[in-house]
Amino acid sequence: METLRGIVDNINYIGALTLFVIGLYTVLTHANLLKKVIGINIMETSIFLFFVSTGYVRLADSPIIDPNKANQIFVNPLPSALILTGIVVALSVTVYSLSLIIKIYEEYGTIDLNEIMEMRGNLSDG
Amino acid sequence: MVNEHFPIYMLAILLVNAAIFSAFTKLSFRFLKRVVVVNLLLIWIMGVSLFVKVVRDGAFRYNFGDWHQAVGVQFYVDELAVFMMMFILTLSNLIIIYSLKDIEHEIESKQFARYYTLVFLMIFSMLGLTFSNDMFNMFIFMEILSIASCSIISIKNSKGSTLASFRYLILNTLGSLSVLMGIALIYMVTGQLNMNEIHGEISVIWKYYPTNIMMALAFIIIGFGTKAAIFPLHIWLPDAHSVAPTPSSALLSGIVVKVYIFAIIKLLFRVIGVEIVGELGIPTAIAYLAAIGTILGSIFAIAQKDIKRMLAYSSVAQIGYIFLGVGLATKAGLEFAMFHIVSHGLIKTALFLSAGAIIYQTEKRDIRKLDGIAYEMPATMMVFAIAALGMIGIPGTSGFMSKIFLGSVVLQEGKAFYLFIIILSSFLNAFYYMPIITSAFMKSDSEAKVVNDKIPRRMVVPMVIVIFLSIAIGFYPQLITEIIEIAVDSLL
Amino acid sequence: MDDLIVRKVTKWIVPFIQVYGIFIVLHGHISPGGGFSGGAVLGSSIILITLSLGLEKASGILSHRTSSLLESGSIIWYVLIGFAGIVTGNNFLTNRGAGFHMGEVGDIISSGTIPLITVAIGIKVASTVITLFHIIIEED
Repeated sequence: METLRGIVDNINYIGALTLFVIGLYTVLTHANLLKKVIGINIMETSIFLFFVSTGYVRLADSPIIDPNKANQIFVNPLPSALILTGIVVALSVTVYSLSLIIKIYEEYGTIDLNEIMEMRGNLSDG
Repeated sequence: MVNEHFPIYMLAILLVNAAIFSAFTKLSFRFLKRVVVVNLLLIWIMGVSLFVKVVRDGAFRYNFGDWHQAVGVQFYVDELAVFMMMFILTLSNLIIIYSLKDIEHEIESKQFARYYTLVFLMIFSMLGLTFSNDMFNMFIFMEILSIASCSIISIKNSKGSTLASFRYLILNTLGSLSVLMGIALIYMVTGQLNMNEIHGEISVIWKYYPTNIMMALAFIIIGFGTKAAIFPLHIWLPDAHSVAPTPSSALLSGIVVKVYIFAIIKLLFRVIGVEIVGELGIPTAIAYLAAIGTILGSIFAIAQKDIKRMLAYSSVAQIGYIFLGVGLATKAGLEFAMFHIVSHGLIKTALFLSAGAIIYQTEKRDIRKLDGIAYEMPATMMVFAIAALGMIGIPGTSGFMSKIFLGSVVLQEGKAFYLFIIILSSFLNAFYYMPIITSAFMKSDSEAKVVNDKIPRRMVVPMVIVIFLSIAIGFYPQLITEIIEIAVDSLL
Repeated sequence: MDDLIVRKVTKWIVPFIQVYGIFIVLHGHISPGGGFSGGAVLGSSIILITLSLGLEKASGILSHRTSSLLESGSIIWYVLIGFAGIVTGNNFLTNRGAGFHMGEVGDIISSGTIPLITVAIGIKVASTVITLFHIIIEED
């Protein structure tokens, strides 16, 4: 029961770290460049989820002042604001890496890292 | 006249210029050059006056929008930050003046305006990273810097530059994500993002959440270590730095990596504090990795045939020295780290610029084909030779001063083992730099005559100034050590 | 894509998407959303046109030239608003102290610089999203 309770209380940690590791595994093991970018996106999402979950307050409202209510409790708006910035950064990184992949495909005719490495090896030998 | 808005003015000028360049890509290159030079000079003069002001009147904090530091964005402009700012501005100005001529040779003419957009954004983000006293803003500036520095590699339309840039981008992003995870973990237990506020809370929090802080530190150090190319995480550096256009290589190797090291120093000693960091044994680990890096970087460099690739591997070794200073975690060690940041920045810039000049004139990148090149281009090879001697540590250059500095620091700490590593690494340095110098100056046909350099003067002058600065620091190290002492005092 | 239904539906739906995007941008300071979300919605309306009616039609509405001018212009606009604080003797990006109209809580015209900045961000994000999409499509 204790362990179960521990898991339920810290579910945000566990979820975020699991996603983080899945993303890292995708980036490191897949030779397909697109899958690497997807892995990066999974990692980003895991951190965003984790960061936003740190601002959660039980039974609180979203941080918009409602003149009709007194003594409102708000969730912490700062993490959400930061993560919005983080999403912008993630978007630009993704777009930039996708455009690089297009250029790599034009150069080598493939987006598989192993095949590209083979081609480069042949080039330097010949 | 000098007031505390100067950091904002500098950043605003850089940002607005970058925006204008990117909108008007069809401007003539002559006009663009003038705008770039005038703006850089303006910013440099502002930087000098800010430097003088801070040294005379002391550090100050700048709150954006008059918000309190716990909720707002803050700049902390202290001696350390202005010292780093002067280093960034001076060196990048010289490199950019060199680039105005060299870049015509490296990239297509329609990309010029975009190139300077990226360079201005890079300087913008480096200055922001230096001043920022706020963890999250630091992350944002870091991301701008990493995207800009990947782009100035891929802007060159050559085989391999896109792939190198893609690798650099992926590893850089992994690094930034680790840093963001670390920031999230620190924010979770302290509830603060401002560096001073975190430092105030962390000595209390440390007792209750040691695992959390430890994980945060691990994430942050791995993240920044990837970007700063500390030894086992350096794999992206040789590719990225060698295929980039020469001015970009000099910027990346001379300055960008140093800014990340500066960020690590700030995080470890200003945010977390030397006691907690020491208790976790992080400095010792960094020092060991750095020591391995100095040796292995040099050994890899020996095996290289491409001149820029060799210089890139040599950077890995020199970054090892800087981290060795950080890993000692004492006042003297940090002073050395700051000194070597400047010294290596100058020497490596001179090396990359002169290597770029050789490629500009002769299209030769292979170090075995450089026989007798000193007869063709004496001034360039003189710069290269002095800089290479500085890398080895011959007296009279800043390289010698930093090696003797590190040696004495290590002996004071009673860690003579590192002295052995330093000497071994110096021998290895000599092993790959000396053959280039000897073959360039000694091997030639008997009829070869010394001719004047055909390199444009605008490329030679920046190189000579850089190497002159290095020699000046070599003879009068107190030029910068005095300010470093004040700066490091504020850190520990 | 040459399909009658898609083309007709796009023509019908695009104005609504754009109005919704403008609504989100303008209400950024009093409700969830803001410059980035609204800008993304606005941008996606043009992306919808590109996808269903073709690139030429979309470039006719917003050419590369205009969108890069808009991007740079909104950066400069942001910096200028920031400098209003310095001109009035406060720090960069000061809001209330610089004498901006604060208004009542819940009004559209309230909270000083924030709507002004949000509009700039909205334009910036919309034009950036469109430019990025168009550039990637052209490369292909």
